[in-house]
Amino acid sequence: MPKQKKAMPPVQQWAAPVLLGWLVPGAGHFYLKRWNHGGLLLFAIASMFIFGLLMRGRMFEPQTGDLFTTVIHCGGYLADVANGSLYFLATWLGYQQQQMATAVADYGTKFLACAGLLNILAVIDAYEIAAGQKP
Amino acid sequence: MHLGLTHLQAALLFAFFASIVLGVVGRNSDKERIRYGVTVFGYFVAAIFGLGWLMYFGHG
Repeated sequence: MPKQKKAMPPVQQWAAPVLLGWLVPGAGHFYLKRWNHGGLLLFAIASMFIFGLLMRGRMFEPQTGDLFTTVIHCGGYLADVANGSLYFLATWLGYQQQQMATAVADYGTKFLACAGLLNILAVIDAYEIAAGQKP
Repeated sequence: MHLGLTHLQAALLFAFFASIVLGVVGRNSDKERIRYGVTVFGYFVAAIFGLGWLMYFGHG
């Protein structure tokens, strides 16, 4: 017997925590009154982002070309943007780092992108809680 | 200000922050979350040292 697809929960039920969670890491959980989880997410994601800046990591810019270049640069850009206000604040304040040939700066670039990817996980978690799919 | 970390310090720092997030979102009860976060951190550390030694021997 084929499985029935679950109906998507109404947008107004999850839109606010998802949007807030994207803009400020952990804010989606704060909105859902999960104070401890929101605090831990804010601490971990914001710290990773700040360490990425202190290590002089580079923000990706969308760039097309061969498949590898497109995937790396566009994917990296999306990961950076997933940091929400942290990314917008850093770029608005003029953070711009040229590529440096040091291991630490390379780690910094990965820290910035991975902070965004972890924030996506946090946003998905906020969505699942808001939609009643997770206790 | 510029941080000059070693490979090991940077990798451990990454493992620490990633484990917190994975622990929070990965399980449904607080006890399970702590256990999962610690386990993930342990796997990260094992991978860091394992791959480190692999590269050391790979380079001869």
